[in-house]
Amino acid sequence: MTVSFILNGEDVSANVRSVDRLSDILRDVFGLVGLRSDCRCGRCGRCFVFLDGRLVPSCIVPAFSARGREIITIEGFAQTEEYRDIAEGFKAAGVETCGFCEAPKILALADLLERSSRPSPREILAQISAVPCRCTDPDAIVRAAQAVIERRAKRIYRRAGQ
Amino acid sequence: MLASEIHFPKDLAEALELIRRPGILVFAGGTGILREQGGRGISLPGEVLFIREIPELRRTSLTERFLEIGAAVTLSELLELGETALPPLLAEAVRGIGTMAIRNLATIGGNVASRGRFMDCWPALACLDGLVELRDRGGATWMNANRLLGEDGKPAFPEGGLITRLRVPIERWDAYLLRKVGPSDFPAPETAVFAFAARAEKGILAEARIVFAGEIALRSHSLESTMIGRGLPLSAREAATIAEGYRTLAAPLPEGLALQFGVLVEGALGLLSR
Amino acid sequence: MLYVATIRSPSARGSIRSLRFPTLPAGYRSILPADIPGRNRIVSFGAEVPILAQDRVSYVGEPVALIAGPDPALLEELAAATKVVCDEEEPYLNWESFSSDQVAAKRVAVVGDPDLAFSIASSVQEEVYTSGAIEHYYSEPQGAAAAYDYDKIAVWCATQWPYHVRDSVALALGCRAEEVSVRPTRLGVHLDGKLWYPSLLACHASIASIACGRPAKVLLTREEDFRFTPKRVRSSVSVRAALGKGGELSALDVRIAINVGAYGPLAEEILSQAVIACTGAYACPNLRVEGYAVLTNTPPGGAFGGLGASHTLFAMEAHANRLAMAGGEDPADWKARNVLRKGSRLLTGEILKEEVPYDAIIAHLAAASDYRRKYAGYELVRKRRSGRADGPLRGIGLAFAYQGAGPFLSGDASNSYTVEATLDKDLRLRIFTSAAGGAGGVMDIWRGSAAAILGVGLESVSIAPPETDQVPDSGPSTLSRNVSVVNRLVERACEAIQKRRFREPLPLTARAAYRVPKPIKWEGGQVSGSPFDTAAWAGAVLELELDPWTLEPRPLGVWLCVDGGHVVAPERAAAALRSGVADALGACINERFDPSGGGAGISDYFRYGLLPLHELPPIGIEFVEPERRAPVKGIGELPFDTVPAAFLSALSQAADAAFSSLPVPTARLIGALGAP
Repeated sequence: MTVSFILNGEDVSANVRSVDRLSDILRDVFGLVGLRSDCRCGRCGRCFVFLDGRLVPSCIVPAFSARGREIITIEGFAQTEEYRDIAEGFKAAGVETCGFCEAPKILALADLLERSSRPSPREILAQISAVPCRCTDPDAIVRAAQAVIERRAKRIYRRAGQ
Repeated sequence: MLASEIHFPKDLAEALELIRRPGILVFAGGTGILREQGGRGISLPGEVLFIREIPELRRTSLTERFLEIGAAVTLSELLELGETALPPLLAEAVRGIGTMAIRNLATIGGNVASRGRFMDCWPALACLDGLVELRDRGGATWMNANRLLGEDGKPAFPEGGLITRLRVPIERWDAYLLRKVGPSDFPAPETAVFAFAARAEKGILAEARIVFAGEIALRSHSLESTMIGRGLPLSAREAATIAEGYRTLAAPLPEGLALQFGVLVEGALGLLSR
Repeated sequence: MLYVATIRSPSARGSIRSLRFPTLPAGYRSILPADIPGRNRIVSFGAEVPILAQDRVSYVGEPVALIAGPDPALLEELAAATKVVCDEEEPYLNWESFSSDQVAAKRVAVVGDPDLAFSIASSVQEEVYTSGAIEHYYSEPQGAAAAYDYDKIAVWCATQWPYHVRDSVALALGCRAEEVSVRPTRLGVHLDGKLWYPSLLACHASIASIACGRPAKVLLTREEDFRFTPKRVRSSVSVRAALGKGGELSALDVRIAINVGAYGPLAEEILSQAVIACTGAYACPNLRVEGYAVLTNTPPGGAFGGLGASHTLFAMEAHANRLAMAGGEDPADWKARNVLRKGSRLLTGEILKEEVPYDAIIAHLAAASDYRRKYAGYELVRKRRSGRADGPLRGIGLAFAYQGAGPFLSGDASNSYTVEATLDKDLRLRIFTSAAGGAGGVMDIWRGSAAAILGVGLESVSIAPPETDQVPDSGPSTLSRNVSVVNRLVERACEAIQKRRFREPLPLTARAAYRVPKPIKWEGGQVSGSPFDTAAWAGAVLELELDPWTLEPRPLGVWLCVDGGHVVAPERAAAALRSGVADALGACINERFDPSGGGAGISDYFRYGLLPLHELPPIGIEFVEPERRAPVKGIGELPFDTVPAAFLSALSQAADAAFSSLPVPTARLIGALGAP
C-alpha cells in the first residue's frame, strides 16, 4: 500500500507492506540512518522519532499507521534551535556517550523539555531511562538538562529585552 | 510473511461493521501486540482494524460523577488530564507503565483489553469499579471492569465487541495505595499491580477494596464485606485475621508473588490500623 | 550488498541428521561448512570454535549454515523456514557438579600447609557463593561486513581485537593474513563482550562474500545477540576460611567451578584470573585452591567487565564480611587486620611492592558515608528485631578489592604487543595502534601522554584508524591494557622519538613492544610469575533499605573510593565509574536470567532490562591522592569487583539472613524476613 505522510517537513510517500516497521522504512527507503532498528520491541530507544509531536519507538510502529501523520527524525530535529540547545547542554555538562545513544537521548530530552519547563532530576532520569545504555552517567545527564534550561531561559530573557 | 489487509475506518459505524469479521485484530497503539515480536517484519493476522483515526474513540470528558475516556486515548494523553481529573489510583498505575515513549503509543483500551494477562490499568479500574463500554452492531453495553475477571482468575474479555469508552467514577477515597511489583518496564510473570482503596464515614469503614492482578487476578468481595462496617482504626487482631484470609486467597499465585501480595495487604490494612 | 542470516541448531547436543532449506529464490544461496575455503575453525586461547557446526552441535543456537540474499526481511522468513533436524543426545547442563569429560581447564595451587592450619584453627566457616549470567547490553548488537577491496578482503566489525579477526578470517579463507584488512567500526561500550565473537561473525560475512562474489553483511538483532552470543560466565565459588585466635585469616580452601559453555574459548584465561584473585585483597599464608572451567551445552560463556577475577573477588569479599559479622566485628576492622600490605606475599610467590591504600580508602569512605555509625546502628537493630515490622529494614555493606592490569595469565603466546609513532616535519605526531578506544576517553590519554613527552599541543597528536594493514598488533583491548600497556608503549615510542629528534631529520618513526616480564606458569600445584603489572584499589560502601510496601531492596547510597594511580581526567573517570556502579547495581537487583535450561529463551530477552536511572541512589566517587609518579591504572572493573559484595552484605544485614548470590529471589527474601 502507498502511505503518505510528512517527513522532516516534507510531504513524502512510500510503498509499504503490512509487515514493515516504520523504523525500517525510514532507514531503508528514506536513508535516515540516524535511527537504528536494533531491539524490535520498543525498549532500547535507538529508533525514536517524533510522531505527531510525540516521541515514539518507531520499531513498534507499523509503517501503515504513519499515514497522514507527521514524523520528525533526528536528522530533521538537528536543524532546530532546540537541538542546538541540547547539544550545547551536553557539551557544557561534559556528557560523553558511546555514540550510539546520543541521538535518542537528545530527542528524549527535547520531548521532556517540551512538556515541562523545569523537570526534577528524577523526571529527567526517568525520561532518559527510555534510552537504556551502559554509557550513561546519571549526574552528567541531569546537569545537561539543567544547562539546557538555563540556556533557554537566558535566550527568552534576551528576546524579551529586545 | 503473509500480508495483512489493513482497514482504516473513519467512524465508529464503519468500525462496528468490520469488527464482525472473524479473526480481525483491533489495533490502536499496538504496543501489546508488537512488544513481543522480535523479527524483522511484524506479524499480524489476515485482517487488521486500525481504530486510531476514529474521533469518537479519542475523546475524554469529565463530569462531577465520572471521567469518560475514549478507548484509543493514549496513556500519555491520560496523564496530561492532570491530578484534578484523573483519579490518583489510575494515575499511579499509568505512570508505572513502560517508558514515556511506550505511553505515547499505548492506549487505555488496549491496556484493559489485554487477553493474555492483566495489564496495569485494569486493577486500578476494577478497584474503582470502573465501567467499560463494549459495542457491536447490536448496540452498546456498559460493563463493570470486574466482569473482565474470569472465574479462573484470568482475563475474560468477551469476543466480538469493541471497547469504545471507559468510565471512571470520581469519588472521594480516604486511603489508597497502588504498588507495582516485579520488573516494571516489561510485563513478566513476576509483574503485578496491587490496588487498594478505602473510605470511612463517621469512623466506620464504609468501603474497602483490594485488587491484585498480573497473569492472574485476585479480588474477593466476601473478604471486602467482612471489613465493611468495622470501626476504625482496626485492631491488630482484626487486621491479622483479614490478612490471613487474603493469604489463603493468594494460594494460586507463584510463591514470590503470593508473599509480596501478603505484605502489601498487611501494609494496606496498616493504613486502616493507625 | 547481500545480507546474511544464520541457521541455528535447535538442539543443545547431538548430531545433525538433516538440513533442509526451502526453495531459495534467485539471488539467494545457502552456505554450508563445505563452502568454507580454509579451516572451519576459529581459535581463541587454544580452544577451537566451529565457524559452522558440521556433523555435531553443542548448543542451542549454534550456527550450522548461512543464507545470503538481498532482502533481509525475506531472508528472515527463509531462515525460519529452514529445518535443522538433530539426533539429540542428553546435553551436559550440570556444572556445579560435573564429569571429567566436561573439564576444559583445571588450575590448582597450594601455598603453605592448609591442612595443618585448618586443624588448629580457632574457627572455620564455609559458604558457596554463586554469580549468575549477565547480558552485556553493549551499545550495538554484533555484526560484521566483508567485501573485496582490490587484492584484499576487507572486513568491518566492532571488535576489541582486530588482529584476532584478521587471523581468524585468514584461517577460514585459507589465505595469508596480509590479504585480510580489518577496518574496525565504532566499538562503544562493550564490557568485554566483543573480544572473540566478532571474529566468528567476520568469518561468516567473509565466507558469504567470497561464495557470492558480492559484499555481505551479518547483522544480529538484539534478540539474537542476547540469546546466542557469549554472556558473563556463571560461577560457583566455595570458600572455606580458617581464622586464628586473633581473628587473623590463617587458611583458605577455595573451590571454583566456572560454567564456560560450549567449546570454552576463554576458559583458561577466565579460570586463571579467577584463581589468581581467589584470596581477594587479603594475605593468607596457607591456601589450597582448585578451579575448574566446565564445559556445558550452552552458548559459549564470555568475559564481562574483566576476565574472571570479579567472581572470586565477590566471593572472598562476601565471605570476609560474613566472617566479621559472625565474630561480632565491624568488617572494616576485620579487613584492616587481614588486608594485603606492602611486602605481603601473593599467591604466585611475588612480593607486593606497592602500598595498599586500605586505610586511606576506608577513611574516605567512612567520612563520606558515615559507615561506622550506620553499621553499628543497623547491627543493633538487626540483633534486637523481634519481627519484620519491628524497626527499619536497613543495612550497610563494605567491600574492598583490586583490579589488576596487564598480561594474560593463561600463557597465551601472543603476549607481545606493539605500538608505533611517527613525528612528521610539521611536528605532528601520529600514533599507530590496533587497540580499540571503546567509549571512554582512553585515546585522549594516549594523546595527552604523547603531547606531554614531545612538548607539542594536543591538537598535533592524532591516532590512525586501527586498520590492520596500517597499524601494528597491540593486542586485545581488555584487562585495562589501553590505559596501562598501550599507554606505556605510546610513552616509550614517544620517548624514543624525543631522544632522536634533535639529532636526526624528521619524519621519525619509533616502535615500542611489550613483553610480559614474568609470564605466569602453572606447574605441579604451584603458580609463579607476575599476576599483574599494576593494581588499582577500591573500596565501596552501599546502604540499602527494603521497601516497606514490597520488601524489594532499594539502594539508598553508594560510595566508591578509588586509588587509580595517576588519573588523567578525573571527571571523565568519575563519570565512567558512576556508569559502572549503575551497571553493578543492575546486576544486584534486576539483571537476571537463567540459561541453565540450555540457553536464553525469547521471554528472557523480553524481560531483561537495565536498572532505570531514576531508581539509582546517589553515587559518590572519590579518588585518593596517588603516590608520586604513580602510573596510570585501569579502574573500569572496580565497580563490579566491589559493589556486588557490598550489596550482598547490606542485604544480609537488612534481612538478617545469610545470602550468597545475587539477585536474591523475592520469595527467598520475604521468606527469610519472616512474620511481621
